[in-house]
Amino acid sequence: MAEILLKNAYVIDPISGINGEVMDIAISGGKIVEEVSSKPEVIDCQGCLTLPGGIDSHTHISGTKVNFGRYMSPEDMRAGRTAKKGPMHITSGYSVPTTYGNSYRYSALGYTTLVEGAVAPLEARHTHEEFKFTPLQDSCANILFDGNWGMLRALEEGDIKRAAAIIAWTLNAVKGFAIKLTNPGGTEAWGFGKNVSCINEKIPTFDLTPAEIIKGAIRANELLHLPHSVHLHCNNLGTPGNFTCTIGTFGHVPDLNDKRQTLYATHVQFHSYGGTGWSDFCSKSEPVANMVNFRPQIVIDMGQVMFGRTTTMTADGPMEFNLYRLHHDKWSNHDVELETGSGIIPVNYRKKNLVNSIMWAIGLELALLVKNPWQCLLTTDNPNGAPFIKYPEIIALLMSKRYRDAEFAMIHQDTEKRVPLPAIDRELDWHDIAVMTRAGQARALGITDLGKGYLMPGAEADIAIYPIKTDEIDPSAEYEKIIQGFARTEYTIKRGRVVSRRGDAIIDGENTTFWVKPKVPAAYDIQHDPTFMELFERNYSVRMSNYPVQEEYLHRNHCIETETDL
Amino acid sequence: MNVIITFRNHENPFIPIEAEMITPDAFLEEKNEICVAVGNRSYPLSEVADFSIVGEASSVDDIEVLIRGDTSRVKRVGEYMSGGAITIEGDIGMHCGNFMSGGRIEILGSADGWLGREMKGGEIICHGDAGDYCASGYRGGRRGMRGGSVEVFGSVGDFACEHIAGGEVLIHGNTGDFACAEMKGGTVTILGDTSRVCANMSAGTCYVYGSAVEMIPTFEKKGTVNHDGVLFHHFRGDVANRGNGDLYTVHFTYLQ
Amino acid sequence: MDIKDVPCPFCGCLCDDVKIQIEDNRITGVENCCTLGNAKFLSKSRLQHPIMRKDGKWVEVSYEEAIDETARILSDAVRPLLYGWSGTVGEAQVVGVHLAEEIGALIDSTTSVCHNPSILAIQEVGHPGCTLGQVKNRADLVIYWGCNPIEAHPRHMSRYTTYADGYFIDNTATDRKVIVVDIRRSDGAKVADEFIQVKPGGDYLVLSALRAMVRGKSDVVPDSVAGVKKVQLQRVADLMMKAKFGAVFFGLGVTMSRGKYKNVRNAIELVSELNRKTKFTISAMRGHFNVYGFNEVLTWMAGYPFAVDFSRGIAFYNPGETSVIDLLEKKEPDACLVVASDPGAHFPKSTIEHIAAIPTVQIDPCVNATTALCQVQIPVAITGIESAGTAYRMDGVPIRMKKVLETDFPTDQEILERIVTRIREMRADG
Repeated sequence: MAEILLKNAYVIDPISGINGEVMDIAISGGKIVEEVSSKPEVIDCQGCLTLPGGIDSHTHISGTKVNFGRYMSPEDMRAGRTAKKGPMHITSGYSVPTTYGNSYRYSALGYTTLVEGAVAPLEARHTHEEFKFTPLQDSCANILFDGNWGMLRALEEGDIKRAAAIIAWTLNAVKGFAIKLTNPGGTEAWGFGKNVSCINEKIPTFDLTPAEIIKGAIRANELLHLPHSVHLHCNNLGTPGNFTCTIGTFGHVPDLNDKRQTLYATHVQFHSYGGTGWSDFCSKSEPVANMVNFRPQIVIDMGQVMFGRTTTMTADGPMEFNLYRLHHDKWSNHDVELETGSGIIPVNYRKKNLVNSIMWAIGLELALLVKNPWQCLLTTDNPNGAPFIKYPEIIALLMSKRYRDAEFAMIHQDTEKRVPLPAIDRELDWHDIAVMTRAGQARALGITDLGKGYLMPGAEADIAIYPIKTDEIDPSAEYEKIIQGFARTEYTIKRGRVVSRRGDAIIDGENTTFWVKPKVPAAYDIQHDPTFMELFERNYSVRMSNYPVQEEYLHRNHCIETETDL
Repeated sequence: MNVIITFRNHENPFIPIEAEMITPDAFLEEKNEICVAVGNRSYPLSEVADFSIVGEASSVDDIEVLIRGDTSRVKRVGEYMSGGAITIEGDIGMHCGNFMSGGRIEILGSADGWLGREMKGGEIICHGDAGDYCASGYRGGRRGMRGGSVEVFGSVGDFACEHIAGGEVLIHGNTGDFACAEMKGGTVTILGDTSRVCANMSAGTCYVYGSAVEMIPTFEKKGTVNHDGVLFHHFRGDVANRGNGDLYTVHFTYLQ
Repeated sequence: MDIKDVPCPFCGCLCDDVKIQIEDNRITGVENCCTLGNAKFLSKSRLQHPIMRKDGKWVEVSYEEAIDETARILSDAVRPLLYGWSGTVGEAQVVGVHLAEEIGALIDSTTSVCHNPSILAIQEVGHPGCTLGQVKNRADLVIYWGCNPIEAHPRHMSRYTTYADGYFIDNTATDRKVIVVDIRRSDGAKVADEFIQVKPGGDYLVLSALRAMVRGKSDVVPDSVAGVKKVQLQRVADLMMKAKFGAVFFGLGVTMSRGKYKNVRNAIELVSELNRKTKFTISAMRGHFNVYGFNEVLTWMAGYPFAVDFSRGIAFYNPGETSVIDLLEKKEPDACLVVASDPGAHFPKSTIEHIAAIPTVQIDPCVNATTALCQVQIPVAITGIESAGTAYRMDGVPIRMKKVLETDFPTDQEILERIVTRIREMRADG
């Protein structure tokens, strides 16, 4: 494989403790090395900001639900069409781009690794199919367990080890990366059109509460020594007053892992609402951020909302139905037997709308009030809060109080009384941004051991070089330059090859899928467990032998084997 | 400025020509080379048509484009036009006047489907018939026509004014099935007969001077009103859709 | 040798519990399958070599020559159409989309002539649906509207609805109510608790009436709607609202009768409305085993489920304009590639005449009605029997089709890849 020498790179690499050093980076065989042997291709970075490749730890880019978002939205598809260009295929879509569209546009932003946030195991094959056509980013699939009957029954019986065994079998079978819980218990209740409203309320069809599901999954996750923690979409997403539920949930989380968090709570903006209804709806970012500040075992991501059209999609079926009743626009729902639900509706976040304005403020507040940037990562829950192409604007908002004030002046005038944002002066710096867009993700996902998220020898050569000279920009005043600089890399390098140059993909690329295989002792191999087999054969509509995702779907892949405590 | 474009007979008359660059706006900027697509090939306009330009224009409203020859398969003429005038001597292909915001298109023959799709302003007059989806929207059910006016002297096909949200449409002849389906605003007047009119409408106003057959059964009867010297039955609906639109028709029948 | 759990490459039910007996690389027995699937597994007739018309006569040619000729035909075409796709796997469909993109073609699938209206409706109002196992385990009310599962999807009722065991259903024979809606008393009507006979073309009106009733606005509904008495409609509306989990399945009687996608839209909006009262889902009874897979593939690659025109270098979608029947009726295509479907057997006469009038190539294992319209036919392995790959069930669940027999025939994917390569070579040579 070709060798590259990056000269004069202005490097920020938080994991390696580098904060703005001009240095050379040698690349060989897809990795960063001490030095290159022969005549490498030399790229003179001319002091431009050079970061590890961006990692999105929670996005929706592949699979059944995402594709249905495209399928039902020809108006969104036509809003983002590009023609074939060099090795680039045609793309369509604005908020839910086609797979190539996602890949090229993420690459232009310097992103090299993506985690699909919610995959129903029964339909995981589809996600892997789309990963193949998202060629410029490595991929991981978070697997939904919120309504998994096998796991729920084991938890009901108080048998954590059995729950862990079922999780292990499922992750291995569907080539998944981590445990995702979406509105735990709520998606199962939605099977009969119901929901749960509190983490201590029993769910209708199992003798369990959401809190018990969350605690059980956390313990199972740690028994399996999975790289990532439980990845949680809390109950009550989007409802006024839900911050108590969020804080209550965080209060249940023990500190069980010394390498990373014990709980990753996603799109917390949507879970930090005060008020008793829409009329007194307000921000509760402060208590939520305080809770995170007191509990290092929790990492959250923002789920920032940005104004404009987008498409919301989540496994949280009942929540999407509530949104549908508010917006009365088109609504799709797709419940998955024995596992989970999902829903999709298009939305338009408007500056003139008070609720939308408050939502916009809350995401920013979380990022500014959580003291440790490693504990609050930058996302929009793409495309739920906004399409990921808005990331540069979010970075600029976090780095510039002046930009925030300018935007604040444009939104609903009553927002001021409902949110703390105007009083927050904090401006994040380049290092904070590097943490919140790659280093923090790598650590939270537990993939630093795989060479992700840093730029020292041994690391994967996933690198983003931005046309930004930090000593020539005052981020506070020149926020336009921040937006431009982060919108299009000079070079995006993936596994040692330049994949994207000034916004255009220049090669076809080939990505790697990361998945986990917990080493389970024979006694806990659920594959041959008669009760589990019976549950499968009686209730699923596919045969157990046809359920696992075959090797054919993996192409390039990296299996993460873990030792377990079973 | 007068522009005369005469389409020549082409070798394979069934291959459509996409000519979205033919708008008065395009002729305002001289440096624009007008290109058309014939199937998957792209050519300068001169490859398929003779054209001449006489005089000058300081604004788009000074430009009149006359289109002659076999244009029944020429699509997207006048797309996004903002002013000036286009006259088509014969028939015109699909999507004439898509998204137009101003100016005037006059078709002496008939128009194919999607005439004035998603138009926002300006005026379209069609002396012949118009095809399906006249003055409608695009797939996906967003707002259709939003402003301006369309007048068709002949009849129109199915799904006329689907998703219409604004503007005025006058159809002298009959419509096909499902005229004004999903209507959200605007005013549509049908002088002839129509079928399953205003299905699922939420707002807007529709007058039918002829007969509305297969009336949607979920409209509330509000009595009769005199409008324009004619006695109309007034309906409000579509109740199935929580709708609040007004449908006035002289005659109506249900499929019972 | 027995092979278990083989997915059946016939209809959209994609039953994956079929047992196949094989002796000497021949299928000698099939268990668990319906008669339609049985016939597919046991079919023996096939085309042995690529064939090409020369001077009006069919002659056997090599794969290379057939591929060369196909590449030439497609390269020369100004408005090529690539049609079919529902009888092959996603891996081949992907190559088809790349081919269409490469040559600026129109690409469309059999969706265009079956559930095209369902997709247009979904694009207007969305789709409250679920996987089939959800219905099996939970539904206490099943409605078949404008479809005849007994003939078209023979195992649908036994695997997923009326006769299937369900987790929350104590006795499937008594605890599940069945409503059948059709223009005539079909076989399905005999097992129905309630049969609604609608006048042809009247589905939309009946659906509107039910929506108003579910909203509590029965008073506006006339005494009779499209042949159905108001009292029956009210009874049905009440049954729907009382159900714990209702599941609507609809077929071509709804999509292909007058009004087409508006009928489907109205049915979806009825189901959405019912979700305010209870749980309801709606699902299309898709035909070919992988017709849904093509919709998925084209959507993730180009953004639209069918009927895409790549001629302008971007994806343009407008059924009615870019869909196969409309194109052929207007005589637009000047070359056609048919893959894994048989338009010659199903299309209207005028469109078949146009397919015959232009250079047409077919990729298919068997001689069929379309063969007569072609210049070239390239035989391939039988998908789901001799070659593996991904198919999507009617509810979107992806299942890997199996290869149970060895064969020397190339797969659809291989032939398509060779055509793409040959076209690129021709272009490079100028």
